[in-house]
Amino acid sequence: MIEWLASYQSLVDLILLDCGLALSQFVVLRAGVFSVATPGLASIGAYTAAILTLRMGVPAAAGTLAAMLAGTAAALLLSIPLSRLRGVFQAIATVAMVQIVLSIALYATAITGGANGLNGIPKQVGTLQLLLVIGLIVYVLVCLGRSRVGYAFDAMRQDETVATSLGISVARYQALAFALSGAIAGLTGALMAYHNYSVVPEEFGFGMLITVLAYVVLGGRHSVLGPLVGAFTLGILPELARPLADNRLIVHGALLMLVIIYLPHGIVDSLWIAYRRRLGRSAQSIIATKDIADGAA
Amino acid sequence: MLAQQLLNALVVGSVYALFALGFTLIFGVHHILNLAHGAVFMWGAFVGLYAVTELHLPFLVAFLGASFIAGLLSVALDWLAFRPLRRRAAPEFSAIVSSIGAGYVLMSIAQRVSDTKVMRYPFGSFPIEIYSVLGLRVTLLQLVIVGSVVVTVAGLVAYIFHTSFGRQIRAVAINERTASLLGVNPAGVYFQTFFISGALAGAAGVLIGIAFNSVHFLMGEPYMLRAFVVIVLGGLGSILGAVVGGLLLGVIQTMTIAYVSTNLSDAVIFSLLFLILLIRPTGMFGTLRRETRVARE
Repeated sequence: MIEWLASYQSLVDLILLDCGLALSQFVVLRAGVFSVATPGLASIGAYTAAILTLRMGVPAAAGTLAAMLAGTAAALLLSIPLSRLRGVFQAIATVAMVQIVLSIALYATAITGGANGLNGIPKQVGTLQLLLVIGLIVYVLVCLGRSRVGYAFDAMRQDETVATSLGISVARYQALAFALSGAIAGLTGALMAYHNYSVVPEEFGFGMLITVLAYVVLGGRHSVLGPLVGAFTLGILPELARPLADNRLIVHGALLMLVIIYLPHGIVDSLWIAYRRRLGRSAQSIIATKDIADGAA
Repeated sequence: MLAQQLLNALVVGSVYALFALGFTLIFGVHHILNLAHGAVFMWGAFVGLYAVTELHLPFLVAFLGASFIAGLLSVALDWLAFRPLRRRAAPEFSAIVSSIGAGYVLMSIAQRVSDTKVMRYPFGSFPIEIYSVLGLRVTLLQLVIVGSVVVTVAGLVAYIFHTSFGRQIRAVAINERTASLLGVNPAGVYFQTFFISGALAGAAGVLIGIAFNSVHFLMGEPYMLRAFVVIVLGGLGSILGAVVGGLLLGVIQTMTIAYVSTNLSDAVIFSLLFLILLIRPTGMFGTLRRETRVARE
């Protein structure tokens, strides 16, 4: 058992890091904010941690904390202009944000190391630390999801006008969702820096944006379990069969299409709806949950 | 020097316009943000290249053939990726995800076909002739590029604003339900707009492929991201906006590269996108005021 785990340790680490990114993307989508800024925010976190440790010798714990704060601050700043925009335009603006962060990382060679990135970061994060941090994030998100905040997020995603009429300040809760997403992304970025020995700008580009989106779409956007299941499924799939690994991109693309067309709620939320139906819950409650999973139609 | 730069900007900008026209057409008429447009563009370049190298067709035939096949590809895309979603009246998020998936599939097939190589049009597949006009260096290729863009735009405007088919397209753009009550067949309109959009992308692909003499499976992505800037600059869904936006982006990009820095040009372009979304999200010619902004207190 131990040997088996050890042989798959790097895969497990990779999947755990992806879980962090997926959770960051999940938070905004649950609140009905169509942001795809996660790679940009994670990039900010990773560079913050790497620069603090390499240039000033800051210990990993403090670097991680600083990265989390940097991610939160960047997300809060971003939320001010974004709260004025609607769906598609939020997506376009955040794609632009990811590109801006990427090209600044490439341009500011003196600070970020340009295209070569920052290398030789001492490895200070192992599987145990990753598990702890991701576990903590999941715990916080589950608690938040069951509180007023979670209900406010769900209401906003289903219908903004109704949410407003219920006394929910949409702009404020969107900013909260952004801040959460930024904090998680910054944290995960720092973990990536301390785990991978290096930070390379291209890693945080359009490719990561699509992969992270795929995790959340595949897993589901309502339950916290969704992004985790998505990241695990897509992470393990290439290991199961060689042809799947060779055609990784085709599999990702085709899965995105098939899932959004035939299983629009994602794996976890679809199973949950089916389970509730079997329990024979009243039609009312099933419809309510279905609506929740449906998103703002 | 400045005049020469402006000329180059005109050429680059007109290809941007050609690419963005198809993108903005689909958004304007069907409100679909088609993120697979870059992949269709790339396939246009591939088909054109293979027609010249494998089938030894003359350039003009290859150009028209590539444009036609890219049009058909775009229609197939509509059938496979968007039509099932329309049936279910899925939210706009689904269409974006589905098109990302489709784009990925198309890109990885191209990667397979080309063995990840960067390919070139064989030397002499387009005659190299250089003219000197008012002290400026003008190549025949540049003239052909600008000429074909002018002809295409004129044709498109004539089609949309002066034919009965165009009237149907405009009717569906305003309201699909009302249009179908008035006897317009929406399926036919979808076929036309996706075909036109794909054909424009394919034509742009061949022109870019031969102008920069490089064809590879990732070539669509940067154009896709720049098309965001073009259409936001001009106004989403506006034909005139796409043309003016494309030319303007060409000028801005060429000037930044010439007088500031190559690496910074992306940061400048995408910051501009961000600024426009903030100050004037409808762009220069957009009329979608209601849809872009939301009033939040």
